Amino acid sequence: MKKKITIIGAAVVFFLGAFYADAQEIILIKNGTIVPVVGKVITNGSLLIKDGIIAKIGTSFKAPKEAKIIDAKGMYIYPGMIGPLTAVGVTGYPGAGSDTDEIGVSTPHMDSYDAVNPEDECIEVTRIDGVTTVLTVSGTRSAINGKAVALNLAGNLAEDMVIKRDVVQIFNTGARARNGYPSTLSGVNSLIKDKLNQAKLYAEKKKKKAESPKDFKCDLEMEALTQVLSRKVPALFITSDEVTIRNALHIIEEYNLKGIIFATIGILKFAEKLAAKNIPVIWAGTTTMPQRWEAVDKYYHTAAVLAKKGVLFAFNESGRPGSRNVRRQPVPASLSVAYGLSEEEAIKALTINPAKMLGIDNQVGSLEKGKTANVVICTKSLVQLSSKIHTVIINGKIIPKTSVQTRLRDKFKKIVQERKK
Amino acid sequence: MRRKILYLLTVLILITVSAGAQDLALKGGTILTVTKGTIENGTVLIQDGKIIAVGKDINIPSGIKVIDVTGKYVMPGLIDSHTHIAFDMGDGNEVSSPVTPQIWMKEVLDSSHDTIRTTLAGGVTTVKTMHGSANVIGGVNVTIKLKYNHPVEEMMVKGVRQQLKMALGENPKRLYGSKGRMPSTRMGNAYVARKAFIEAQEYKAKWDKYEKEKAAGKRDIKPPEKDLKMETLRMVLEKDMTIDCHTYRADEIVWLLKFCQEFDIVLKQISHCVDGYKVADLMAEAGVSFGGWVDWWGMKEEMYDGCPYGFKIMHDAGVNIVINSDSANEGRFLYLNAAKMLKYNDLPETEALKMITINAARSLEMEERIGSIEVGKDGDIAVFDKYPLDSTTKVLKTIIEGVIYYDYAESSVTVKGSSR
Repeated sequence: MKKKITIIGAAVVFFLGAFYADAQEIILIKNGTIVPVVGKVITNGSLLIKDGIIAKIGTSFKAPKEAKIIDAKGMYIYPGMIGPLTAVGVTGYPGAGSDTDEIGVSTPHMDSYDAVNPEDECIEVTRIDGVTTVLTVSGTRSAINGKAVALNLAGNLAEDMVIKRDVVQIFNTGARARNGYPSTLSGVNSLIKDKLNQAKLYAEKKKKKAESPKDFKCDLEMEALTQVLSRKVPALFITSDEVTIRNALHIIEEYNLKGIIFATIGILKFAEKLAAKNIPVIWAGTTTMPQRWEAVDKYYHTAAVLAKKGVLFAFNESGRPGSRNVRRQPVPASLSVAYGLSEEEAIKALTINPAKMLGIDNQVGSLEKGKTANVVICTKSLVQLSSKIHTVIINGKIIPKTSVQTRLRDKFKKIVQERKK
Repeated sequence: MRRKILYLLTVLILITVSAGAQDLALKGGTILTVTKGTIENGTVLIQDGKIIAVGKDINIPSGIKVIDVTGKYVMPGLIDSHTHIAFDMGDGNEVSSPVTPQIWMKEVLDSSHDTIRTTLAGGVTTVKTMHGSANVIGGVNVTIKLKYNHPVEEMMVKGVRQQLKMALGENPKRLYGSKGRMPSTRMGNAYVARKAFIEAQEYKAKWDKYEKEKAAGKRDIKPPEKDLKMETLRMVLEKDMTIDCHTYRADEIVWLLKFCQEFDIVLKQISHCVDGYKVADLMAEAGVSFGGWVDWWGMKEEMYDGCPYGFKIMHDAGVNIVINSDSANEGRFLYLNAAKMLKYNDLPETEALKMITINAARSLEMEERIGSIEVGKDGDIAVFDKYPLDSTTKVLKTIIEGVIYYDYAESSVTVKGSSR
């Protein structure tokens, strides 16, 4: 009996200890060039992380005794990058089946959170290259798609990863249906408006539910859209050209939505308007192929123009979501800097700008006291594609530098060497 | 007076004669020769389209066009040994049969195709362009210099073996399987390839016999019937043509190496080759080049093991590594991909530069002509505003055989102001 108690006691102490150590993890990064994004660059800076939060940031201060020290001499310290339109967590490994793009032209009630798989190997691959936060979407190919969830790329359960749910509702003004209505752009436009009109009526009925309960029947599709109409959830419009941008802007104005535009082509014509109306842009067109009559650097230069005109924009590496290469986020930044954008603006468009437009800038997107400790330490600037990632920290924890790809590397390096002997 | 005029005229004529269209001097830049180190504040002198001098104190003959590239970087024109540009992708795949070696890409080249212009802006001067990967044995690729808007004949590189494209794995399986035809499995792919080459051996034997008898003076013999499919494969069997094969998986790579041994045919490049690192030693032993991307993965099942860290394994095993684009879009970013390769692999920077120049030239069997800045080589140059592996760099000029085909200052909205 005594023995049993001792064992239980030891176990309790062990678990408490483990819990305590976990909660109190303290990390001090020192001697590096800190690029906080919000605020000035700090050379020879130090950054203290405690309880998953950035506790202190400055030039030099003493570390608590128990702190783990990371010497970042000669290196750069950035907030983790943000992928503003991805399918990380829902694309799955081959054969697992894809969980994006539910069937139907209007599926606003689909929620990507319901399909997030924390074991998706894409998570590890993405985060060890410095992308610590993503917006994971449920689809983009229908006129009205589902909700999106903002995730930190660390956690054993989906709920551990969540920064915010219902971050945006996704529309696509270019989503002509292959079979049936809406098979034209005007059709797509009408469908979206019809649905928003219905949602308005639905909201009114819901208000009067107490007086006339017979008139009201819960409808999840309408529930989702009322959140957009009340501006509680921003409406993110996927566009594919000038016409689809224009249609999106009309809908945003007519229904007074909190709009965000995802664009690959044709955005510059609207730059002044977007700036004036504070409509942010997810700019995914840096590597768009120019038309024959367009200058070869038109799309490389677009970000510089957006910045100059005062449009809040974020980079997206791919023209479509579902890419497994969200780690390529720095590519459009590099190209845009080569063709006229300042490096400072480019870094913002990888970090704080997407955080702002997704409404998660209170937690991520910059290195500021009190924010979630999502930190990347690398050998060169974030816009340098040869910059090696030294350390990634998410939620204040150092992320192991392993992924399916490092495991393959280690396995086959050995096999090849042994076979050669 | 008259004499003076005559003298002036003579001088003028001499200048125009000596300063040919393919003469050019690039002066004052940092020259990355790729094979022979870096020269600061150097000069590259091109005459008649060939590099005739490289170094610090080069005497530039009077009358030659001089471009001051002080502070800029001069490197050999980039080379892409696997892409799909300079033709309409409507002609991308001859999907009527899994064996179509009678198809030649040179028949569909379009020298004014816009993909040439956009690729030039990435500093690329030579590419091997080809159709898609629908067929196990596809058609014949064509290696071209990107002489935009010039006659197609002038673009095509002469005097090198062309390459036949093969494709294994899911693409031919998917296409023909969906039509209810063979091949719909990897076994089917293997059979289709083997059957074609056995037929080609028989065809070759017939022709060999005929030609031998004819040479011996035998009369009353009829030549065998000509078959354009078999003619191409006969060229491969005679080693007058080599092979570039599209494959992803390691097991298929091993199969392919054995297949080429079996038929005694020359495999120059394995393209895409995402699993190449797994069998790097075997590829090195076979002397076949890796041609692929740096960080693509997971786009389909057979691509799942793509690994950007594999370059070091391949390099250490002695594989000739080439970074390819496989597309008009990516073809503009070879230098960015070279930089990216360094992120994942502890390799010297020169190795990264080689992967987009001399290694590619080697895969095309053109290493004596292009891929580095050396005397005697073609005057194919890319001028960058910053170090080419600094990913905020850009291409200022792309020069082929002494002629400027891309000039940033003249065609840029960044320079000229924004347009909508």
